[in-house]
Amino acid sequence: MKRISFPLLVASSLFLATIAFSETRPHYGGTLHVAIRDAPLSLDPSEIARAHGQTSANLASLLFDTLTRVDERGQLQPGLARSWQADSGNRRWRFVLRTGVTFSDGKPLTADSVVASLKAINAGWKIFSEAGAVIVEGESPAPYLPAQLALPRNGIAKRDGGKELGTGPFVVSQWLPSKHLTAAAREDYWGGRPFLDSIEIEMGESLRDQMIALDLGKAQLIEIAPEKARSAGIEDREVSKSAGTEMMALVFSRPCESAQEQYLRDAFSLSIDRESLNKVVLQGEGDPTGGLLPDWMTGYEFIFPAQMNLTRAREERSQVQHAPVWTLKFDPNDPVENIVAQRIVLNANEAGLRLQLSTGSASDLRLVRLPLASLDVHVALDELATALGLPQPQYATDSLEDVYSAEKALLDSHRVIPLLRSPREWGVAGTVRNLAMSRDGTWQLPNAWISPGKP
Amino acid sequence: MAIAECVDLPGKAMTLRRKLLLLFTLVVFLCVAAVAWIISSLARRAFEKTNDERTVALVAQFRREFNRRGKEVSERVQAIAASEASTRMALALSRGIPDYGTYLNEAGNVATNQQLDFLEFLTSDGTIISSAQWPAKFGYKESSVSTSTVPQTVFLKQEELPEGEALGLCAFREIQVTDKPPLVVGCRRIDKDFLASLELPSGMRAMLYESPFHQEGDAGFSPQLLIDAGGPVLRADPLAPLIRQIQEQQREISQLVHWSSDPADDETINSILLRGVNGQLLGILLIANSRRPYVELRRHIGSTAFFSGFAGMLIAVVLSGWAAARITHPVEELAQAAREVAAGNWNTQVEVTTSDELGQLAESFNVMTRELLQQREHLVQAERVAAWRELARRLAHELKNPLFPLQLTVENLVRARQQSPEMFEEIFQESSSTLLAEIGNLKNIISRFSEFSKMPLPQFESVDLNEIVRKVARLFQAQLDAPGHASIKCKLELADSPVSIAGDPELLHRALSNLVLNAMDAMPEGGTLTLRTRWGSDGNDACVEVSDTGSGLTPEESARVFTPYYTSKTHGTGLGLAIVQSVISDHGGRVSVRSEPGRGTTFEIKLPRNEEKLQALDITGRTLGR
Repeated sequence: MKRISFPLLVASSLFLATIAFSETRPHYGGTLHVAIRDAPLSLDPSEIARAHGQTSANLASLLFDTLTRVDERGQLQPGLARSWQADSGNRRWRFVLRTGVTFSDGKPLTADSVVASLKAINAGWKIFSEAGAVIVEGESPAPYLPAQLALPRNGIAKRDGGKELGTGPFVVSQWLPSKHLTAAAREDYWGGRPFLDSIEIEMGESLRDQMIALDLGKAQLIEIAPEKARSAGIEDREVSKSAGTEMMALVFSRPCESAQEQYLRDAFSLSIDRESLNKVVLQGEGDPTGGLLPDWMTGYEFIFPAQMNLTRAREERSQVQHAPVWTLKFDPNDPVENIVAQRIVLNANEAGLRLQLSTGSASDLRLVRLPLASLDVHVALDELATALGLPQPQYATDSLEDVYSAEKALLDSHRVIPLLRSPREWGVAGTVRNLAMSRDGTWQLPNAWISPGKP
Repeated sequence: MAIAECVDLPGKAMTLRRKLLLLFTLVVFLCVAAVAWIISSLARRAFEKTNDERTVALVAQFRREFNRRGKEVSERVQAIAASEASTRMALALSRGIPDYGTYLNEAGNVATNQQLDFLEFLTSDGTIISSAQWPAKFGYKESSVSTSTVPQTVFLKQEELPEGEALGLCAFREIQVTDKPPLVVGCRRIDKDFLASLELPSGMRAMLYESPFHQEGDAGFSPQLLIDAGGPVLRADPLAPLIRQIQEQQREISQLVHWSSDPADDETINSILLRGVNGQLLGILLIANSRRPYVELRRHIGSTAFFSGFAGMLIAVVLSGWAAARITHPVEELAQAAREVAAGNWNTQVEVTTSDELGQLAESFNVMTRELLQQREHLVQAERVAAWRELARRLAHELKNPLFPLQLTVENLVRARQQSPEMFEEIFQESSSTLLAEIGNLKNIISRFSEFSKMPLPQFESVDLNEIVRKVARLFQAQLDAPGHASIKCKLELADSPVSIAGDPELLHRALSNLVLNAMDAMPEGGTLTLRTRWGSDGNDACVEVSDTGSGLTPEESARVFTPYYTSKTHGTGLGLAIVQSVISDHGGRVSVRSEPGRGTTFEIKLPRNEEKLQALDITGRTLGR
């Protein structure tokens, strides 16, 4: 009995080990079906970056490479540029390109093609090639130029007759603007062939339709609104989420011009119950925030107050005899913005401030959602200031203290009131394996693969 | 001529037929107008009554529809309160502080399913757990209704919304699970969609004046608060007085509202006050009932009456014309016959076509003309006999006067031959001269009778009556001035301008001469002879007057003065004035006399201008002159 049972035990162990290994071992092939809400009309990295924020980062990462990359810790990593070097004043940068990189049409990547690509996007830059390297010169110091070049809009593309060819891990095989994209894996990708054979992306799908598509198995990767993530989790869907990246904030259309107005704006900021907004409207998926950059990025966000203080709000309000009625603009098609705007009106009323909701073009305030543009704090703050229409931050040194000072200066201008920070969340089918996501919500699809078995 | 003028008069005056036609038409018009007015008045009253009854019925129907909607709301809220989801919510709430995030969209989803515009889940103390109409209001208190006064029936509520306030038809229900049951309040918004969804009869519309006391003490009229099924009422001003009146008197008022100058646009507005739980006035429902069908029906009746009346009038005019013609035809025939009789055609007879009064009148007319004819013949015969008698008497008288001296002279000659032949020669000579003189008288008498019988027809030429009168005056001037006569003064009163007519100057001269001789004979004691010429008042007739200041004529003499052989003078033949009348008649004129005893006599001759003869003479003259 013992003689028989031992071989059986060994055989069954081997069999189970084989099965287990076969389910964890990366598997080449398969098509990943993705559904997204955005519907870009163009695949040009500059276009989709301008119009679609986070989507651009995801699409660009499939088709286009950048000269540099910023890793999870905010550190610069080589991309298409193998190395880079600046002069002492950070005015002239020299990027040495990686060899053996080809565009999706098989043509090699050259310094001239990089120069042409970057010039098309950054018309004000002085860019040229020199001895196979790319030179970027500026009149003022640009210490964070390598991190800027890691932004999705600076993806290197060869624009050829209305088509954009990239050096990314996938190549466009079918493109129906704003509807459908099929991207096939490149066998000759310089970073190695992705496990997936192709990715099919259905665009313009509502969140509800995406959820149905996931449940029906028609999509394997979908977007989930943070406020829906809780119920999605309750209903046994696999949810992958980023760190809190998207900031919801209120932006005044004009600068604060008097002390009285400053009192009113302070009172307004103090009257907002961010906690309730997060717990009820975002179903607790986000975080109340008083800063522009996330705490996981800077570590000092908690310094900026985010708690409602109605008593202080009323005190600040009482400093001004007559308060004007502000108009608050929001996107009426966004249910979250709708409720948040209404709640803000109610909160403000409690502090003695009167707001009127508006969907027109002119308003005193607007409710905005801003994605985190970069994992580099300087670039992220710069992009945030640009998006909010605020002055560009000034840094004396590279230190975090200077970043804090610059951020505080932006907040002290009383032009922006941060409200909530929410993560990017994705519903992922059980068959999708090794799908990594950056802290800013960018897909890491080249390493993902599809399990042949049932999820 | 005078008869002819009399015949022309009816042509200028209104004829009997026209009078009858007008009379009939007027009578018919008055009858049609009276009937149309009576029918219109009766119809208007009937329609007013019907319209009022319809309005009452429609308002009652609206109230039923309104109540039905309230019942619907109540049933739906009851269904929500009794649902499993509400029960789970109540149980979850009983365990502690509510998780507002869980129920954030609950009210909105349930409201959509139950087709309610407003829906809120409240804790027992009135805290909003979930709100469909204002999702962001979670955690706030529902201020408009106190939970201690939760109405059990459908009620009206002023609901606060992010964009303002709205009126709702609401129902409250408790979710009976725990001791402190949560509440559910659901409403159907009373707005333009609600008004549009009401099943109203044609011609009726509903309007809502929202929140009449939106602000404290503001009881005025704000046009933007008035809506109907299509949205804001564009022209709300005509309703302002009614709204203000309702606000002041706080009672339901019905009023006719004029939207334009066209009465068809008028509407009867009935108001229904929408009060809240505490009796406060939250809105005014205005039920407008168009008067267009009524006005159009009234116009239709009016136009029908008008056209019927017009057609009736036309028919009446035609029939009246026919009837008038039928009635007046015998009368016109009689009138025509009378005109013919007047013109001298005494043989005229009219046809007797009926046996009624007009037939009898025609028969009598025929009898009358026959008798007139017979009497005229008798009269002519009598006058002829009388004339012959007069002629015989005159002849006898005229002839007897010269014959008697002749007889005496012959007897004297015979006696002188027998008794004194010596003186016979002397007596013969004397007697011969006497016989010749008397025979001359006889010849003269015979020639005058002969002359009268041979009166010639006038030879027309253009004559000036003034000139003829002057010639006559000159002819007789010597006699008038002759000694041995009483003094007769001749006075001429002639027209300033020539009185030219077509006439025979010789005959007119003779006629005037006869009249002057007559006048001179009428003034043996002297007097004034006046000769006048002038144009008649109509300008067509020329007048010549010969007046004397003699003893004048009696009426009987005046009536017979133109009768031939009639004379009032001792030695007259009675033919002078007969000749005058004959001459004047041959000229188409007439002669008349007016006289009073002791005040003289005036003979007036009226002569027509005889234009056609003058023109003929003119043409003849020009032809001959050429």
